[in-house]
Amino acid sequence: MTAAAPGLPAILGPIRPRPRWRETRLLLIVAGAVIVGSVSLALTSQVADPGESHGLSLANPVHVAVYLGLLAIAHVILILSGRRMDEVLLPTAGMLGGISLLLMERLPQTQVVQSIGPWRLGLGDVQLAWLILSFGLATALAITVRSDSWLRLYKYTWAAAGVALLLATFVFGDDINGQRLSLTIGPVSGQPAELLKVILVVFLAGYLSENRPLLVEESTRVGPIALPPLPFLAPMAAMWAIALGIVVMQRDLGAALLFFTVFLCLLYIATGRVGYVVVGVLLFLAGAYLMYLIVPTVQTRVDIWADPFKDPSGSGYQIVQSLFAFGRGGLLGTGLGAGLPTVDGNLPIPAVHTDFPLAALGEELGLVGVTAILGLFLVLIERGLRIAASAADEFRSLLAAGLALVIGTQAFIIAAGNLKLIPLTGITLPFISYGGSSLLLNGIIIGFLLALSDRGVEPPPPPKPRGRLARLTGRVSRLETPAAGRAPIPPSPARRPDADR
Amino acid sequence: MTGPLPGAAPPPAAPPTRAPPPAAPPSRTARPAPLGKTIGHVGLALTVAFAGLALGAGYWQVVRSPDLTADPRNPLVIAAARNVVRGLIVDRDGKTLASNKRDPDTGQPYRVYSDDAFSGVIGYASRQFGTAGLEDTFNAELTGVSNGNPIGDALRKFELDPYDPQKLTLSISSRLQQAAIAGLGDDRGAVVMLDPTTGEVLVLASTPTFDNGAVANPATAEKAFAALRTDKSHPLLNRATQGQYVPGSVFKIVTAIAGLGSGRITPATTFPSQPKAEADGLVVSGFRIHEHPGVPSRSFDLIDATEWSSNIWYALAGLRTGGANLADFAGRMGIGGAIDFDLPTASSQVSGGGSGPGGFADDVELANASYGQAKVLVTPLQMALVASTVANGGVLMRPHLVVATTGRGGTQRVGPSELSRVISPDDAAAIAEAMQGAVESSIGRQFTTGAKVAGVPTAGKSGTAELGGTGAPHSWFIGFAPVDHPRIAIAVIVERGGRGGARAAPLAGDLMTMFFRLNR
Repeated sequence: MTAAAPGLPAILGPIRPRPRWRETRLLLIVAGAVIVGSVSLALTSQVADPGESHGLSLANPVHVAVYLGLLAIAHVILILSGRRMDEVLLPTAGMLGGISLLLMERLPQTQVVQSIGPWRLGLGDVQLAWLILSFGLATALAITVRSDSWLRLYKYTWAAAGVALLLATFVFGDDINGQRLSLTIGPVSGQPAELLKVILVVFLAGYLSENRPLLVEESTRVGPIALPPLPFLAPMAAMWAIALGIVVMQRDLGAALLFFTVFLCLLYIATGRVGYVVVGVLLFLAGAYLMYLIVPTVQTRVDIWADPFKDPSGSGYQIVQSLFAFGRGGLLGTGLGAGLPTVDGNLPIPAVHTDFPLAALGEELGLVGVTAILGLFLVLIERGLRIAASAADEFRSLLAAGLALVIGTQAFIIAAGNLKLIPLTGITLPFISYGGSSLLLNGIIIGFLLALSDRGVEPPPPPKPRGRLARLTGRVSRLETPAAGRAPIPPSPARRPDADR
Repeated sequence: MTGPLPGAAPPPAAPPTRAPPPAAPPSRTARPAPLGKTIGHVGLALTVAFAGLALGAGYWQVVRSPDLTADPRNPLVIAAARNVVRGLIVDRDGKTLASNKRDPDTGQPYRVYSDDAFSGVIGYASRQFGTAGLEDTFNAELTGVSNGNPIGDALRKFELDPYDPQKLTLSISSRLQQAAIAGLGDDRGAVVMLDPTTGEVLVLASTPTFDNGAVANPATAEKAFAALRTDKSHPLLNRATQGQYVPGSVFKIVTAIAGLGSGRITPATTFPSQPKAEADGLVVSGFRIHEHPGVPSRSFDLIDATEWSSNIWYALAGLRTGGANLADFAGRMGIGGAIDFDLPTASSQVSGGGSGPGGFADDVELANASYGQAKVLVTPLQMALVASTVANGGVLMRPHLVVATTGRGGTQRVGPSELSRVISPDDAAAIAEAMQGAVESSIGRQFTTGAKVAGVPTAGKSGTAELGGTGAPHSWFIGFAPVDHPRIAIAVIVERGGRGGARAAPLAGDLMTMFFRLNR
């Protein structure tokens, strides 16, 4: 990235485009899938309303064109940026977003109506707008984030800001369905807990990478049992307290479960000590039991989960309807737009667009579709973890892993809730659920992951490159700048990474 | 992503680093291992977790899909019930028993039924009051939500109209059913007739019947249903499948099946104490069991005891067979559990659930149960299955009402299927011979007057179920014909109808005669 490619106007600055063929190919597949889905949706509505014209068409050509155009623009910007970034993340997230767009077009548009000036926007329009912002944000972060010092240096400031946001929500927030999750500041309304997810990962990555040697080496011995060093368990206890606090104050079980799971995973990644995980799980179980005893919401949720069919038209209604939807879908599904039978014009699952999109997709795309969607999430996770494993230093490693885990854990929690594998908690399915805060958060995560995957940027001066780090930096340098005449750092023969374990 | 990146493998000869050099033990400043390995572990854990999600989805979408889709609370089923024109229901000859009309005001379809005689079998489909009978058990097929064929179901979703209402073809014979209802008349009771070789049910009659068309018609449903609910004669109870009755002597066939099946008695078994006990009563654990009047004090074998309907011989046979065997063989025919059938069934029982073998409290209960008193309770369908088991050489076929479902994709037939082999063909033949004696011998005829089908060897057993207190006993008959190659098995009960030979046996004889006239 030292010189502009020849032939480009100087006004664009030092631009050296780098083709991303793999991303191009994958995005073409995504475009094909979205177009096929839209045609299928159009055909279904033709059958339902035979008065309309027949023949192949798109359900909402403008939406599809705008969305695919958006992905194409993002793709071109990434090419122009010339950074050596991951080429799978954008198409994967793009596919999930495309599925979301098709689902929101298919649901009754009156689920969400926003009037902006002369326009009345329905569910599909609003979701498309959020998707545009989300992918725009992702692209912007991907090409602009070049240094992480602003993240790692001010981690306590970030954490304090996050807690402040949380408290502000608790004090000034709006109550919706007995949960106090959203905060309105002027014209902007959002759910700060979503942003907190990223802030928390930044803080944990900073804290854990800084204190890693101590957390790994030290032990507090109680008799024959070697416990983790007690002073460094303080963050674990604090985390536990924050999670429980969220449950008590905000009735937001999903977020609490997500924070705690991501925290435990990062702690394990940083230390490799199973003891932490065991202690953490025990703490979780104790906390969960405590919550079950004292928080009525938790009790209700667990009781519904244990037997939703006990009160299928009352408290168990949503989950029973979710299971019915999965059952109706069967192996191949009913087809986009052909599911979700209405009685007296009512959708079977009222919160389908926020909490139960997987049930709707399970019905209309079948087990095949659900498995594919779960697979897409798994691809996101594994790409994120791959970026983490090959990151330049431990902070970046933990940051990338944490961000991937936020998406993965969140998808797992809500999918498992929809499928009655765990008690249902109100949390969004990343990239698919309707919701601005959630989509923006997902965009931020993808943006950071793309930036972190850039193997062309030097990490801040590493303390002492060695082991895997040396190998990675050596490899990166070798790959990136051989022409610049910099001698690649050879893999250090002194430290063989595999033997480290 | 766990291992080292390809192409970057270090030289194999590199010495292991963590092998602690004695001079430099790990110190606080020693850098821990890289993160690749633990990240790999987390990746693996998430992969397993997502595989768990896919398995969960598979459970609901494949394993549980059929019953979830057909669940009456499913909006698909509710929507279909309102808008879909339900499939027809026809009898074995193709005669329509249930069809549809449209409400002139709303345009919504509703059910019309040909005859009240089928109300117990078909039940009703009402917009206000839900479904009952076959309209309930086959709701998914009749509304076309499911056609009972997983592959067909998956493909059906690709068709323009996803609803494919199925036509149900029943094994019911309209004329026999109507004759059975007419024969029961104003009495409460039930008749079950089935083909013992296939399990196809030709008659499943329960009286009183009810006007199921009035429940299905939205205009009259409210009033009709309220009246049915408060009716003291409980017309909504299908007595054939859900009425639990004391069987009396028809239960002796179950005792014979258990005795011969377990090998504890043979057709030639006699009991030394039996002749005297016929006159004086049989003392069991201090309790005296009395014979019904008119039975001679001579030694009986299986045939004599069945012809005379000897309580004493069967009590002794039951005691020798033992409670465990009696309950076991009864259980093989479905007593003690729900019967696998197209309609809901009540379960029958041999004992009161005491602590002894087979749930009998003591020998007194066992001895009394052996001739169908004590705590024995049976449904008419269950007793028809007992007769059918003897008739079919000891093999119980699954009883069924629906023989075919027909939709756009063609017809799916429900063939005969064997539920269990209860006893050997020889034992079945021995019991059949005794039952033939009970109908055709000079002695047996006194108890089963009118059961004999002219020109057809007929087997059977009457029963007179004493209910205690005043009032007439329940009148029972079970039987089958022809004895050598049975084509029809029957169970008849008339509540408070008097002795078995007074009411149930002649009705059974008439209905079997009619069957042979219709199916020459």
